[in-house]
Amino acid sequence: MKTKLTIAGLMTALIFSAAPATPLAHGDGFNDAVKIIEQFYHVKHQSIPLLARAGMKAVRTAARIKGGDYKRLAEAGSVRVAFFEDQNFDSRGQIATFKQTMQATLAGTWSPLVQTLAPKNEEQTYIYIRDAADKFHVLVVTIERHEATVVEATVAPEILAQLMTDPGEMGKALTEDATINDN
Amino acid sequence: MRNLFQSTWKLAPVFLLLLVGSASTAQAQGPKLQMDQLDFLANKANETVDVKLDERLMQTTAKFFSGKDDADIKEALKGIKGIYVKSFSFEKEGEYSQVEVDSIVSQLRGNTWSKILTVKSKKDRENIEVYLNMVGDQITGLAVLSIEPKEFTVVNIVGPIDIEKLSKLEGQFGVPDLGIESDKTKKK
Repeated sequence: MKTKLTIAGLMTALIFSAAPATPLAHGDGFNDAVKIIEQFYHVKHQSIPLLARAGMKAVRTAARIKGGDYKRLAEAGSVRVAFFEDQNFDSRGQIATFKQTMQATLAGTWSPLVQTLAPKNEEQTYIYIRDAADKFHVLVVTIERHEATVVEATVAPEILAQLMTDPGEMGKALTEDATINDN
Repeated sequence: MRNLFQSTWKLAPVFLLLLVGSASTAQAQGPKLQMDQLDFLANKANETVDVKLDERLMQTTAKFFSGKDDADIKEALKGIKGIYVKSFSFEKEGEYSQVEVDSIVSQLRGNTWSKILTVKSKKDRENIEVYLNMVGDQITGLAVLSIEPKEFTVVNIVGPIDIEKLSKLEGQFGVPDLGIESDKTKKK
């Protein structure tokens, strides 16, 4: 009974969290990033993540943020996620071209914060940021050899300040935060 | 004639880089360095890290370091207008050349820049150079070049920064651990 309830809870959370994954508007950064990935790598994003991704990552995320107990990084209801799973991300030696395309597309409205590339393993992380009144919108693109994630979230400045002390871990922490659920 | 054309064509990227480098030199009048000309190294590098923390972001977030543990960070960030880092790690030697290094060094030959520290390690063939940008008696920026056979890192901090502050920022805000210690921060 408890297992059934847990699965039902997970499903509900995933349906609600996956709902904004479908690109809604044109030219808003999130959708642009999804499209760039789809066009460059000839892949398609998925709206519903695998259940296996959920859970057990909260502790690791919490450990990265000062203040003890687990605290959500993104503002409630602000997260948009697009997944690319079990697909082939081969840049064919043109990883810098992909970076330039991403930069050129997002340059008008987003500021690049951190970019890490490891072409040998086809690993890339891009973090962009833009003002959202007294908060910040953060766009995180994570690409690995067989999967990718695009996350957009609104983050309070005090959370951003803590994340900025370790920019290399920022993308991972935000992506994990957006793709876990608390059920 | 064909050989001449082929040779010229092969040298085109070098000319292009020199052109971009000289353009960068012309633009780099202040403490902020032009580093985008290095981006093409990402295709050859095993790992690339590119961090850009601009003034607005630095000032917005700096005020949230208010706890006792954050006192050092807050002090180090005071007045900082930007932290820019580009780091490339390569699998084998010779993947980047002196041309790329010179595209940065040439910007540091201006009147306001002066080299304050050189650390050379024959064993590891590591060379670290630290430059300060001064306007009058005010420090307005700092640049660190870490040149190793398989690694090339450029750190550019804009604002009032010195070696002591730099050592406090090492390992944070994208500033790599350069192993630079000021006398005051050396642990006994």
